[in-house]
Amino acid sequence: MKRSYLYLFSFVLLVILFILSLQIGVIHLQTPLIKLIGKNSGVDATTVWQIRFPRAMGALLVGAALGVAGAIAQGIFRNPLAEPALIGLTSGATLGTIAVISTGVAEFGSRTNVESAILFAALSAFLIYFLAPQKGFGFLITGIAISATLTAIAGVMISISSKPGVQAISFWNFGSLALLNSQIIKVIAPFIEVGFILALFVSRKLDIYSLGDNSARFMGINPKAVRVWAIIALAFLIGPSVSAVGAIAFVGLLVPHIVRLLIGPSHRKMVGLSAIIGADLLLLADLLARTIFQPHEIPLGLITSLIGAPVLILLLRTKNAMWVSHD
Amino acid sequence: MIKWHDLAFYRGDKLILDSVSGQLAKGELVLLSGINGSGKTTLLNLIGGALLPSSGTLTLNGKELQEIRIQDQAKIRSIAPQNRTFNMGFKVRELLNLQPANRKALSTDEIIEELGVVEILDSSILELSLGQQQKVSLAITLIQEADFYLLDEPFSAQDATSVRRILRLLQEVAKTKGLMVVSHNTDHLDANFDREIKLS
Repeated sequence: MKRSYLYLFSFVLLVILFILSLQIGVIHLQTPLIKLIGKNSGVDATTVWQIRFPRAMGALLVGAALGVAGAIAQGIFRNPLAEPALIGLTSGATLGTIAVISTGVAEFGSRTNVESAILFAALSAFLIYFLAPQKGFGFLITGIAISATLTAIAGVMISISSKPGVQAISFWNFGSLALLNSQIIKVIAPFIEVGFILALFVSRKLDIYSLGDNSARFMGINPKAVRVWAIIALAFLIGPSVSAVGAIAFVGLLVPHIVRLLIGPSHRKMVGLSAIIGADLLLLADLLARTIFQPHEIPLGLITSLIGAPVLILLLRTKNAMWVSHD
Repeated sequence: MIKWHDLAFYRGDKLILDSVSGQLAKGELVLLSGINGSGKTTLLNLIGGALLPSSGTLTLNGKELQEIRIQDQAKIRSIAPQNRTFNMGFKVRELLNLQPANRKALSTDEIIEELGVVEILDSSILELSLGQQQKVSLAITLIQEADFYLLDEPFSAQDATSVRRILRLLQEVAKTKGLMVVSHNTDHLDANFDREIKLS
């Protein structure tokens, strides 16, 4: 009963935030939003359907993807610090994007760009997986090191690229929805949907997996297969997200902590709510990013860091924080 | 029947388990004893497929372990590891429902009752004592439907009353299933077992 209320509440919040995202912006709408439905001409209609709608859809999709990815990542590494960014997926996807754009192989937001981001995200996660020593914090530390390397390579590629406009990508690199349009949304949506389906499939095994590798094996689950499928799911969630909006900090880390406090640690139950709350959070962050310092827009990634970090610390200090440290 | 023959395991070049042979049949309650480092847990991990033997053969119901899919291995044998990692705040009830209903033993309710887990079903596993966590871990293993149950040090955090109660339950289960209990300190317990396998 309680869980269905939470779903209802977070979904209603999603609808409200989505409508606000269409309504609010630098341009004040002269026509009420409801009268613009089905219209394609005029400044108001263009503003709402060509600019704000794809942007809100992007926030919804990417927020949901990041929320789910965070839940899966923390589950798979049995570590509350495991954010997709910390385990190489984000930096891999960034490199995958920069590599094709700076060399002129593909346009920003093209299908090739997205596929390259997914591929690089998966490759970097597997690279870390195979390089990391199988003990203690080996995985996370290897992840941080490889991530830094990949980010640096991407930076070098930007610096030496002769393609015009590549330097402008640094805005994207902080995380921003400003470059989104409906074409990009159409390209990334199917990939992210594949990611959701894989995540749902993996999450069913993550609860048994959480009891440890040996324990999982004794209960009929192959922990290595779970990890491989999880990395593929994460690549499909993170690759398209990063390729479209850049690296957005803290959503993947924060959302699972919120969800776990609300409904407990079962991954099977967490996936759905993580998607909705992730979407809520990113829609809200984007609204703030483009309204608080109007007409200036702040990169979204900065807002999520500014809000996300303190909230995360507050959450971890609550007595219900459902994770033990092994210190 | 679980059968192991000339089973050896090296970690690097260190010999952990030196060509041991033995078996576990349905209807018996067996004590696997030996000093620390004699390879008791290693033997369980080999039977569980968590380690690959360096040499020797290992069969479950007549079939080579490596040829049985992991999910099917879990239908033949269920194992309680010595330390299960409980690092998330699952409710005990959730932990007992990790396996789908059709993978559960018929006597699930009885097992939970006998282990004294009923009173803590709605507690978070992280709030429980070590002894209670061990009982939950034992319950997770025993309610998984299988032919054989292998328990690694199930008494290590239990008081005398609980040990007697658990032993009574294990004897009951052993009427139809095969059970092997690993323990390094069982001087006063061995009378409760059908036979003892000693590793040295």
